[in-house]
Amino acid sequence: MKTFFAKSWVRRTIALALLTAVWEAAARTGLLNPLFFPAPSRVAAVAVELAIDGGIWVHLQATFSAAVLGLILGLALGILLGFLAALVPVLAELLEPVMILLNAIPRVIMAPLFVIWLGIDLSSKVALAVVLVAVLVFFAVYSGIKNVDRKLVERVVTLGGGRWVLVREVYIPSVTAQVMGSLKVAVGFAFTGAVVGEFVASTRGLGYLLQFAQSTYNAALSFALILLIMLFVLVLFSLAEALEHRLLRWRHR
Amino acid sequence: MLKVRNVSLAYGAEPVLENLDLDIATGAFVSLVGPSGSGKTSVLRAVTGLQTPLNGSVELDVDKCDVGFLFQDDALLPWRTARQNVALGLRIRGIAGDKALAEADSWLARLGLAGLEQRYPSQLSGGQRKRVAIAQVLALKPKLLLMDEPFASLDAIVRARITQELVDWVEREHMTVLLVTHDLEEALSTSDVVYLLSQGPRARIRSHYEVPIPRPRTLIETRKHPAFGALLDRLWCDLADEVNVAGAEAAQ
Repeated sequence: MKTFFAKSWVRRTIALALLTAVWEAAARTGLLNPLFFPAPSRVAAVAVELAIDGGIWVHLQATFSAAVLGLILGLALGILLGFLAALVPVLAELLEPVMILLNAIPRVIMAPLFVIWLGIDLSSKVALAVVLVAVLVFFAVYSGIKNVDRKLVERVVTLGGGRWVLVREVYIPSVTAQVMGSLKVAVGFAFTGAVVGEFVASTRGLGYLLQFAQSTYNAALSFALILLIMLFVLVLFSLAEALEHRLLRWRHR
Repeated sequence: MLKVRNVSLAYGAEPVLENLDLDIATGAFVSLVGPSGSGKTSVLRAVTGLQTPLNGSVELDVDKCDVGFLFQDDALLPWRTARQNVALGLRIRGIAGDKALAEADSWLARLGLAGLEQRYPSQLSGGQRKRVAIAQVLALKPKLLLMDEPFASLDAIVRARITQELVDWVEREHMTVLLVTHDLEEALSTSDVVYLLSQGPRARIRSHYEVPIPRPRTLIETRKHPAFGALLDRLWCDLADEVNVAGAEAAQ
């Protein structure tokens, strides 16, 4: 029994179940106003209704496509720019101030601008997700290369390795470790970009549905949608973790 | 094999080492000892081209790719297995992947690491990692071997064993060696000539000591040789003088 409770996932599940039970009881006894805090059973019922109804899939697909596309493109752009800035000093002079500025502001404020430029379809949501992810990944790659272990660089140089060998044998593996560290944050950023983009202007997506739930004072629908987004982020998190485990197996052995 | 002419080396404005002249004949085992901050490591870095001298020149009778450098830290790539680390230098020299790996395995076996080829550096002990680093360098069959306190981090027994193995190897292959070390006994027991550097900044060669002990050598027997004790005493006294003089100058 003691070893059963020693497992962290058991303790977490029990804590979650307890919280849900207390919330349910509080909502049913009137301690919580169901208009603002609907009972978990009500939230679950709305979620099931959404799934059975089938209308949710088009919204899920829109958000998921924008987030995943934004994540992939953001990763590619961040890695490319990070490498270029680290290896070509002139580019670093140009890119670093822009990235620092972009990092300093809440980048979601660019959402209206993307709608003006790209319209209310998928591309404006993808663009926002790309900007959110790319800046994060840029710094992970840039600082990863700048702070690479000099001893390893000198080791490869004394073995006769040139620039390309250094990139392949030292920089890429070092940077992979850095990028993997930021990948989970990047997943969250990609969904933030997609959902906020949909908030600002769209005709579908979970952000659009959330906006609708807010305007109709439907807290149960809001909770159900938040739950759904959490679920999808969790799925992507576990994929990111599996990828990290595979790429950084030298750390986990 | 190696001629260092009037070389000065600096990290900041003031040279850490000034006007160094050093001649190392083919097949010689030479050590460089001296107080901390006398620029010993910088000399090795200048020979490999990792550091540019302020003035002077470094002349090598061999190609740069015939120079092996054994670092103080093993500096193995943590994301590569032992065999991949050893094969890296071979692959850089143009040997195909499979052949390089096979050769790496044979070098690891020669250094007593058979069965550990697939392990990552984090799964090896300090002594094993050091052996992998040695295999990585020896696999390239260097004609000139530079070593920067390569065994400093190892415990006494492992250190003695690996040093003996390396000395055997060097004698068998008639390699030329320049060893930088803080350990005077290690310097005398392995080398033909030991150079003592003065305290930096602006360090110079203070004196040198020929070691008249015949080869092949075993490190334990070498320490029992009649010339060894007297040489060690002289070296200790000269080094202590150097450190004391530098300390007194600093106090003024």
